[in-house]
Amino acid sequence: MASRSQPYVVIPAYNEAQVVSRVVAELGRAGYAVVVVDDGSRDATADAAHAAGAALVSHPFNLGQGAALQTGIDYALAQGAEVVVTFDADGQHRVSDISRLTEALFQEHAEFALGSRFLGQAPNLPPLRRVLLRAATAFTRLTTGLQVTDTHNGLRAMTRRGAGAIRLRQNRMAHASEWLSQIADSGLRYVERPVTIEYTAYSLAKGQSIGDAILILLDLFARRLYR
Amino acid sequence: MIAQFILSVLLAGIVVYAWSEYARSPAVAVLTLLVASAGLYFVWMPEHSTQLAEAVGIGRGVDLILYIWVCLSLIVLLNLHLKLRTQMELITALARKIALADARPARVPSHSAGAAKTRESARPGESGGKISD
Repeated sequence: MASRSQPYVVIPAYNEAQVVSRVVAELGRAGYAVVVVDDGSRDATADAAHAAGAALVSHPFNLGQGAALQTGIDYALAQGAEVVVTFDADGQHRVSDISRLTEALFQEHAEFALGSRFLGQAPNLPPLRRVLLRAATAFTRLTTGLQVTDTHNGLRAMTRRGAGAIRLRQNRMAHASEWLSQIADSGLRYVERPVTIEYTAYSLAKGQSIGDAILILLDLFARRLYR
Repeated sequence: MIAQFILSVLLAGIVVYAWSEYARSPAVAVLTLLVASAGLYFVWMPEHSTQLAEAVGIGRGVDLILYIWVCLSLIVLLNLHLKLRTQMELITALARKIALADARPARVPSHSAGAAKTRESARPGESGGKISD
């Protein structure tokens, strides 16, 4: 199949110097082209990522994960990528899950393949966070009509066509729901596949709190007003 | 009497400001003009505001003005919020453009789709990615 080209992996990174090079190196060994979007980090994230073999796009200042993802997607598409994968910088995703998602794109003729930790495994997922994620999922199902099981999963694969249908406007964390509403709006085919999320002390410390969840909710409501 | 004088000066200032803004945004200017004029009127005729308040079922004229004030402030706040959002989108678009223009291609030419790689591999002094893990 001609379109079965090597996926382009997009990694948004903000102050991830400790871990980003390991993630980039692992992806590189697996043969993936990687672009790291350094979102105005104050540490050595940019140099670490570049030294590890990633293409590097640096925001001049911090804009948020949604903005970083969109920049990375724009870059990957400009490089001619036929398949784009989004991947977290903190090492909580498994490189081996990528092929599972990209295979699903071709087998199911889907434009999006979304990772789900609830179909797969999430070792060490704290109970409170599980509740929070379930609530976010219920909210998103209600507002987008998509029957997904995990709305806040950073591991996704999409075809060039799918990526072109995404235009993230929520710079901050509310982009997770925005992905789904835009997938729903595009009417393009999506599938979900189980992936494993490994919660390490590092990723948990960087993860989102209840306070963030409330901010995300406010942001989403503001967006409804805005349109 | 002193309070009335000070308030009148402030409100008159707003009237002048609204007048000068008319060219930029007629709707906002007219609204501001109306609010400031109403303020001026009630500053000098407080008993009229009380009559109006009683007519709509609020105890005192001051309360009526307070309520209206709160509503107007919220509208202004919302408007500012939306303006800031729009600005943020413009800033994001600008920053993204700059970031993409200054992109550093991967040091190790890897299996990338597209033709950009040929440009990168011409850069001198390339060595394999030094990875420490």
